[in-house]
Amino acid sequence: MENYLVALGVTAGLYALMAIGLNVIWGMAGLVNLGLVGFFAVGAYTSALLTTKLGVAIGVGMVAGAVAGGVAGALVALITARLRGDYLAIVTLGFAESLRTTASNETWLTNGTDGISGIPGPWRSVLTPSEFNLAYLALVVVIVLIAYLLAQRLSYSPFGRVLRAIRDDEQVAAVAGKPVLAFKVLAFAIGCTALGLAGALYAHYTSFVVPDIFVPLLTLYIKMALLSGGVGNNRGAVLGGLVVVIFLEGTRFITPYIPWLGAVQAAALQQFLVTAALLVVLRFRTRGLVPEPPDHPILRRT
Amino acid sequence: MLKDVAQLVINGLMAGTILAVPAIGLTAIYAVLRFPNFALASHATVGAFAGWIANVVLGWSIIPSLGLAFLAAGLVGVATDEFVLRPFRAAGFATTAIGSIALTIALENLLRMIFGNDLRGYDLPITRDWRFAGLHLGPQQVENMAISLVVMAAVFAFLAFTRAGKAMRAVADNPALARIKGVDAVRVARIVSFVGMGLAGVGGMLIGLDTTIDPLTGFRVMLSVFAAAVVGGLGSIPGAVLGALTIGVGEELCLLVLTPNYRSVVGFLAILLVLILRPSGLLGQRAY
Amino acid sequence: MSTAQFRLTRRSVLAGSAAALAAPYIARAQGVPLTLGILTPLTGAGGYDGPRMMKAIQAVAAQVNDAGGLLGRKITFVIEDDQTNPEAAVRAARKLVDVDKVPVIMGTWASAVTSAVAPVCWESKTFLTTTSGADTITKLPHQGYLIRTQPNNYLQGAKHAEFIASTGAKKVGLLSIQAPFAQPTQERVKDVLAKNGSSLTGGLIYEPNKTSYRSEVDQILRGSPDMVYLNGYTPDVSVLLRDLYRAGYDGPRFTQSYALTSKAVESLPKEVTEGTYTVQPSADIDSPAYANAAKLLGIKDPDSYETQAVDWMSLVALSIAKAKAATGTAIRDTVRSVSQGAGTKVYSAVDGLTILAKGGEVNYEGASGPCDFTDIGDIQDCKFRYLVVKNGALTFLKVV
Repeated sequence: MENYLVALGVTAGLYALMAIGLNVIWGMAGLVNLGLVGFFAVGAYTSALLTTKLGVAIGVGMVAGAVAGGVAGALVALITARLRGDYLAIVTLGFAESLRTTASNETWLTNGTDGISGIPGPWRSVLTPSEFNLAYLALVVVIVLIAYLLAQRLSYSPFGRVLRAIRDDEQVAAVAGKPVLAFKVLAFAIGCTALGLAGALYAHYTSFVVPDIFVPLLTLYIKMALLSGGVGNNRGAVLGGLVVVIFLEGTRFITPYIPWLGAVQAAALQQFLVTAALLVVLRFRTRGLVPEPPDHPILRRT
Repeated sequence: MLKDVAQLVINGLMAGTILAVPAIGLTAIYAVLRFPNFALASHATVGAFAGWIANVVLGWSIIPSLGLAFLAAGLVGVATDEFVLRPFRAAGFATTAIGSIALTIALENLLRMIFGNDLRGYDLPITRDWRFAGLHLGPQQVENMAISLVVMAAVFAFLAFTRAGKAMRAVADNPALARIKGVDAVRVARIVSFVGMGLAGVGGMLIGLDTTIDPLTGFRVMLSVFAAAVVGGLGSIPGAVLGALTIGVGEELCLLVLTPNYRSVVGFLAILLVLILRPSGLLGQRAY
Repeated sequence: MSTAQFRLTRRSVLAGSAAALAAPYIARAQGVPLTLGILTPLTGAGGYDGPRMMKAIQAVAAQVNDAGGLLGRKITFVIEDDQTNPEAAVRAARKLVDVDKVPVIMGTWASAVTSAVAPVCWESKTFLTTTSGADTITKLPHQGYLIRTQPNNYLQGAKHAEFIASTGAKKVGLLSIQAPFAQPTQERVKDVLAKNGSSLTGGLIYEPNKTSYRSEVDQILRGSPDMVYLNGYTPDVSVLLRDLYRAGYDGPRFTQSYALTSKAVESLPKEVTEGTYTVQPSADIDSPAYANAAKLLGIKDPDSYETQAVDWMSLVALSIAKAKAATGTAIRDTVRSVSQGAGTKVYSAVDGLTILAKGGEVNYEGASGPCDFTDIGDIQDCKFRYLVVKNGALTFLKVV
């Protein structure tokens, strides 16, 4: 039981980290990114390849994964800079799906649909599986905490204020002399760095990556995490990660109590309940469980 | 070689005309409600199953079955928009779009609870392709294409000649002006949800006619439908038709230069290419 | 006063819940159910195949339960859906392993899912039985906690090619779904065809989840094959069969039994499937195991996944009975002593359990083959069972 809860803690932590990254892109800068899972994949594959094929140290691999995620984010942002939000949504979704197809087919690099197994985990050789589990939870918690603090700083910094200004009215920000494009690209890159790091952490935790992991469903979970926590709010992002995992796993324990359901129906009901629960949260808390705070903790934003 | 290209173009045009029907639905909804409605995927599946019930369980022929597919998907569309998506709209298009993804998964699984994962086929004899000049062409495909063209004509007539259609165009072109002129925005939203999702339902059944259906039917074509609508210009109905043909033909012609395992990337590349050259799609975003 | 009372109450509540938690363990000694895990795709791309495997596993367990259960306990299952998604599957496997504490997980299908779940299993000393085809799976450092009943691609590719050549086909076209088995099988088929006086005139890998494969079919038919091998799953193979018919192809087709089950044959138009060969790993022709499985499942021609699922549950039951312990390690250490060796050959779980109860040794011969495993968990060898569609129904052809 403890191992299960610890593993869920790790998952929730990774979701929270992704939600924090998303919050910079979407909550602060107002840019839509439906390709989250693509940047997560870039981080996961980068670190997995560097550590398994080139024997790079795990820590270095993770940093490289984060950087690769950020660079990919900056590139996508540059290419799509002129696009309106709704187009950006579809382009980023298509980006993630194309990346998955490419990873499935370019066997020479990614090992294709076989995936990469045996990715090393930190201290894995010296710890028992449950110790490793706990240690990893600690690592993820520390990283989420750091990411949270950095995101908070960012949020209250002049940079964060400009991002929100761009989000609320791009033209006003441009007229005020802010280099809107540079800010957008930077916001995208920062957010995608967190996504890439989450991907690398995932790879070294489960020891296996394969294209089928990186499906749009994961993007939905992270979006839902941030939405239910509260867009524009880092505390909401962390809370949202937890909420989504509770819904995902909690529903497992409900369906066995409905004995007349067949197994397929129970499985379908479980997924139905997850999405329905999230929709209900959003229906009644449109701004999330923890709505975005005012710009300044003391002075209200006008 | 030339013959191969011609065959690929034919295959692409057939696929494209079917794609056009749900793409029109998507773009119509976008024109009025201003968000990409991902719930289109599961509504296409709803239509496919409604049509299957009509055709196989009730023994109706294909045309009235398509009618039921339209009606069922349309009604589900109105209901889900009213009770699920409408409250999200105040929170912005991105939130609504994500809500619609969640909705599509919820609906897919509702269908799975009712119908299971079994593959179901319509009660339709299979026929060999017609052959001419070394090319081949399926009678069922031609029929599907004809149905798609009739549906498209009906949509254009609806927009051009009916009060509801004119109101829809008014809201799409200029919501503020439409409100001043006394167009009931809520009513228009319901009409467009009904028509748009109804078209998705027809599209789902047309896709299933050729093959089999299961709860993932709509999901399989979602990306292509979105690519079609975006390439044509989100919000432009003629654009959706043009986009669908572009994507349909593009996905086939790509086989000349790509291996088949890269086919689904083509839609994305087409989107990128068109949007870089023309940021609001081939035909812009005027609804009509 | 009130605080003291509250404390008392809380303590008694705690005591009560501790007792409640402990209850299963106390009761277990008195013979309460033995819980095993099923992790199989019930939704997603594998949703068509998972439920069949699940039912087959349950059918064997029901038979064992009717015959008195296992170690005096009734077998029950915790069923989790792997969603054909490695991320979701890992979460589900953790739950099975850590919350339900199952000794065995049966039923993973997609190679990606199996590779993702396997580390969770071997680290927690939980046994895993699978049908996934990727050659890499049995090469994982699983310490024996994994068996696969699906023949590997090297063996399958060779046997399939030999059969195809034996039908007299000279030019073979091969359409494979994008999956880990696609490339290795294609290479092996090509080599073995060439050795048998036949040749592969075209091979391509297609994407899953497409609604039409007309252009892919055109591409394969350009090599004017006299045999088309469809190496995919039911949803795509049924589309391919239709598209082949439409394109005017009349020659024989060849596919895996799980991609064209008897149910799929029923649901497809007759002319589309006529003359299609199906293949599945099998026991020897005189082995009654296949007939036993067919009777148990109430299906005339169980497909490869169903027979493999029957064999998993049978092997697990026999291993637990022989080891007299229901742990993953016990199953790992015992499985080869009931699946192979000098013991009495048995063709069903119940027969084997009877012999084991009398202190005898058994060698289980399964419906999907003799079920003799190598050190890394692959099957050593098996026969292949061929059926052909005649007049809209699968008919037995031969076992080779």
